[in-house]
This record gives sequence, structure tokens and C-alpha cells, in this order.
Amino acid sequence: MRKRKTRASEDVELNVTAMLDMAFQLLTFFILTFHPPPVEGQVNLRMPPPRLVVVQKDAVKEGADESDKRMVQGLNTLVITVLGRPASDPKPGWVFQIAVGDAVVADEDHLTSLGDKLKAALTDSGAGFDQIIIQVGSTVHYGGLMKVIDICTQQKLPDGKKLSKLSFVELPMGG
Amino acid sequence: MATMQHAAKAEPNLTPLLDMVFQLITFFMLVINFKSASLDLSLQLPVVGSARPVEGEEELLILNINKDGDLRITGTLEKNIEGYIAKEAQADFLAARAKNPKMLFGEDLPTMVVIRADKATPFNKLNRVIVACQKNGYRKFAMKAMARVRTS
Repeated sequence: MRKRKTRASEDVELNVTAMLDMAFQLLTFFILTFHPPPVEGQVNLRMPPPRLVVVQKDAVKEGADESDKRMVQGLNTLVITVLGRPASDPKPGWVFQIAVGDAVVADEDHLTSLGDKLKAALTDSGAGFDQIIIQVGSTVHYGGLMKVIDICTQQKLPDGKKLSKLSFVELPMGG
Repeated sequence: MATMQHAAKAEPNLTPLLDMVFQLITFFMLVINFKSASLDLSLQLPVVGSARPVEGEEELLILNINKDGDLRITGTLEKNIEGYIAKEAQADFLAARAKNPKMLFGEDLPTMVVIRADKATPFNKLNRVIVACQKNGYRKFAMKAMARVRTS
């Protein structure tokens, strides 16, 4: 029987320098390209296209029969009007006037009265609005409009649900 | 005469350093967010107190609109707004139909349109995009805003 030659145990050392170089390069890349996105929020809305506003009591309800030529009854609508300052104004596009129905209730700096008016209108069980349309002047800035939407979406309907169904109509110029 | 000595090799143990670097790389790889590529971070979003963080993972159509009314998709200017939205709606309809074969053309699309508009965007420019979305069957919208003022 052949005797196996015994050898002194050798330390096998891996050269990690190259791997470390590569790892540092990767790390540098990730550090340089790392840009945490800002924490954004959102207001969720359900926005069907605006429908007929005028309510005709003697008319029929909207249906799927296209051959029926009788007048459609329309939906009971709460109209909010948001007017903007013209381009010649020092603050162009800022909300100049907000009206609920025919009543002027607020401007961009005084929005609390809009909330009160909307609360009163929406909790009135007799009114029973089917849709809410916001008429917006074409120059109104998104920032000002979002303040109005913010107030609207905080309102609750008579059934306790939060208002989230809105439609927009564009008014010519500032309104 | 000085005695000859073997040159002593001073090799630092790089293993813990390598471990730490790999841990850092793993961290950065996990937190990297490719979705942010679709966001135009130059836009100044309005500040709205009731804006809530995004909940759930729905199908989203992200539209960045700057103050001139230009639509930017992953950094590229999209000139044909209506055409782009119609094309996306068609793709979303096919995707929705694959999940729900009973879905008919013209029904409301389940995709949520995320509108990221600059706070100085005039309503007529914004409404052009909203109307184009509504015409193509989108009904669910998310209006993006900051919950508080950005400090940086």
C-alpha cells in the first residue's frame, strides 16, 4: 500500500481587493444616483363627464332607449362657481370669487365660509343633490382650484359618505 | 551585521469591510425607486392639508402637466395629448378585458389617472387633459398635492 504524502496545511487566501474595488464603485453609483422622491399625497375623485343640469319635472328619467325622444328629466345639481383673477391682475389666476348656487360665499383667502355653506347644502335632506358641478374660470390656477376641491372633499353626504364625485365645467376666461 | 529577515507582509483583513459595503449596496438597491422616473420632480405641486398618501397598488396612468400645459411622460414632451391618452386607454381596456372578459368597450376603465400638475397651471390647460381622459372612459382620478410645504 502506497503511503500518501502528508503536506503541511496551506492557507488559501482569496484576493478580495478587486471585489472590494468593484463593490465601492457600485456603492458610489448608488449613493450618487440616490434621490428620495418627495412624499406626495393625493385627493381621489370620481369625475364623470358633466350631465344635464336643468330639472324638468314633467320629463322622463334618463334611460338606455335611444328611440325615446321625450325630454330627459335631468339631475338635481349643486353648482359651485370658481372665478379667477384676469391676466392683467397682480395675482393672475388666483381665485377671486366662489359662489354656491347664486350666493357668493368666499374668495381664496376666506374659504371657511365655503365649507359652512356646502355643509348646510349637502346635509339638507330635502335638496338631495344627484351631482355636483364646479364651474371654473379658464384662468384659475390648479393651486387655487385644489383648495376648493379640498373643502369639497371634506364634506359628507346625507348618507354619511364623503363627497368624492365631482364634475368640472370650464367657463370662458376668468369667468 | 544585521540579520536578514523576511519582508513581513502586513495585509489588513478586508472581509468585514467588504461585508459592510455589500450591506450598503443591498440597502441602496432595495430603496431605489424606479417609479420615480415617471414623476416630473420639477413641478411645484399645490399644498393641500387633506392630501393622503397613496393607498394600494392600482393600475395608474401618471400625467405630468407643467404650467404651460405641456404633458411630460417619463421626461419626454408629449405633443399629441389626446392621441397619447387614447392610445393608453386602448391598452388599459385590453389589459382590463384580459382580467374581466365580460367587460365591454365604452365601460368605465378601472385605471386611475394620476394628475401631477404645477400649482400655476391654468384650468383650461388642465381641463383639456381631464376631458380627453373622460372621453376615453377614465373616471377615477387622483389629483396630486403635497401634504405640507416642501422645505428643500
